[in-house]
Amino acid sequence: MKLLKSKDKDKDQIQLEINLDSNTITVAQKFAVGSLLVVTVVALLAPILSPSNPLLPVDQPFIHPFVSSHILGTDSVGRDELSRVLYGMRASWFSALAVIASGVLIGGTIGMTAAVFGGAVDTILMRITDGFLAFPGPVLAIAVVASLGASLFHTLIAVGIVWWPFYARIVRGEARAIMSRPHVEAARSFGVGKFRLARRHVLQGVIPSIVVTASLDIGNLVITLAGLSFLGLGQPAPAPELGAMAARNLQYLLQEWWVSVMPALAISILAMVGNFTGDAIRDYFEAKI
Amino acid sequence: MYLLKFIVKRLLASVGIILGLTAVLFFLAAISHTDPVHAMLGAGATPGSIAAERHKLGLDKPEIVQYFDYLKNLLHGNMGMSYRTRRPVASDIATYLPATVELAGFSLVLSVLLGLALGIASGGSFRGSGALRFVLISGASVPQFLLAIGGLLFLYGKLNLLPATGIIGIANAPTGPTGIYLIDGILHGDFGVTVDAIKYLIMPSVSISLGPAVSIGRVLRGSLISSLGSDYVKTARSKGLGGFSILIRHALRNSLGPALSMTGLQAGLMFSGVVVIEDIFAWPGIGYYTAQSIPSGDFPAIAGVTLVLGVGYVIINALVDLAQLLADPRLKRLEMGPSTRGRKKFVSQQNSSLNSQVNAIGDPTV
Repeated sequence: MKLLKSKDKDKDQIQLEINLDSNTITVAQKFAVGSLLVVTVVALLAPILSPSNPLLPVDQPFIHPFVSSHILGTDSVGRDELSRVLYGMRASWFSALAVIASGVLIGGTIGMTAAVFGGAVDTILMRITDGFLAFPGPVLAIAVVASLGASLFHTLIAVGIVWWPFYARIVRGEARAIMSRPHVEAARSFGVGKFRLARRHVLQGVIPSIVVTASLDIGNLVITLAGLSFLGLGQPAPAPELGAMAARNLQYLLQEWWVSVMPALAISILAMVGNFTGDAIRDYFEAKI
Repeated sequence: MYLLKFIVKRLLASVGIILGLTAVLFFLAAISHTDPVHAMLGAGATPGSIAAERHKLGLDKPEIVQYFDYLKNLLHGNMGMSYRTRRPVASDIATYLPATVELAGFSLVLSVLLGLALGIASGGSFRGSGALRFVLISGASVPQFLLAIGGLLFLYGKLNLLPATGIIGIANAPTGPTGIYLIDGILHGDFGVTVDAIKYLIMPSVSISLGPAVSIGRVLRGSLISSLGSDYVKTARSKGLGGFSILIRHALRNSLGPALSMTGLQAGLMFSGVVVIEDIFAWPGIGYYTAQSIPSGDFPAIAGVTLVLGVGYVIINALVDLAQLLADPRLKRLEMGPSTRGRKKFVSQQNSSLNSQVNAIGDPTV
């Protein structure tokens, strides 16, 4: 990474420019990011890719996987398992991304505010953050959903509430480190306001660590959300949700194993894609710095 | 002396956190979508009986008075009535708690031991540590219930090696002072009970602890690698010490800090795992109780369990901090150093220890 003076009209801006030819992207990293894109495309195109309606019975119940036109078989009432898993992946994937986005947004804003203002604002905001970090988050999320009533939206709110403090901590730490650099001092001496200081001078330096943390977090979130859905804290019954599908079909496990194993495997695949991509992105940034 | 000061400070902080948790739970109860009066009386209640019940539950008082009533009740061990079992939540929890303590304690020990083994095995640079890293990342991606389902299918369904559900297979097993079969078996000199209890523990506890073990192992690997590259390790090597002795005696102790922080953080995830896993294995603990309470919207029961697990989490994290202090005497000076700005310094130290926890999660060297 090289510090270059920007040729922009904004003379007070120093841009962190990435020296692209100094670092190579390995095959494993390409593969990891590619798999992330594939999963996202599959999630986006679930309605087109799934062979039938996930909510309606289309055939005999309990058709074995890989023997008929229903590749993953059918479930206890004869719904196509593949369609249900695809729709479930769509819900899980976008739920995880939504919670991460809210975590980055809320936590990032709080962390950045604390770092830029410093002093009492910093102390108060970080005390609150520490308070949240001291709770067992996922358990608290169960209580929040139980209070609001079970639905996917409420689950997202509950997890969103317990998920932002990590981001607030990381953003504040990074932002404070950047605040002590000369370019920020220079900008301050020119009388740049707090908001502009945060947006133009600090934000860019914080982004790499946010991207790394957020991508490493996808797997955690997919699994946490699936656990809540498993406990019945997601969408109500017929909705194709991976955790709930695994839970409700547990009674058939020893005979019709695929009905609960397939959704559980789908969750693992999502989490694995998230974790490997996160690792690849981190290695990439690490190699660069 | 510093230890006593540390414990007092930690205790005060813990009380503050638990008070915060009670405030959150009280707020959640207040905005809960189920009305406690309707839940207790059912649909056919008359307006008169509703008003009488409201008065009995103290719901006609101002909110702030209600909160202090709630705190007073908690101090007297009263957590309200469960809508579902129609029994006091506190006595329900007392019935279910020993099984959870058994499972969670066993899982915690297992995840720390597994995590240490994984970290040391993958931290040393030898052939195959890259493959081990792949296994670690994959292992972190497997949800606990997939492990449980897989275990049930193969170890119970196909091979019939381990029992599927429940906590003990022996009828009239001794219930002794602790209520934990694993320990009661030993105390009663009945080792058959202990062996049977372990059989029932294996599948649920492995399902719970594999994920946390991998996280602990990954953090430990990162800090071990940086320790192994430091000067004192070079010195030790130049003295002619063997690789294993350097790893265990020199590098490991200095690398334990982040791994311990991770253990404390993972305890929270483990507790939510306990709820799911107890549900699958019909393990008669408070997680099973929660899973049963969720469909019926039994908020007092869920709030009670949340509070108990929250207290457990705070205790585990306080113990982790203590263990960190004992493992790394340098923290003594940081934590308790001769400071004229005592409070301010403590706060900033707390911040930095939390920073190191957070850094442990996003540790770039892992």
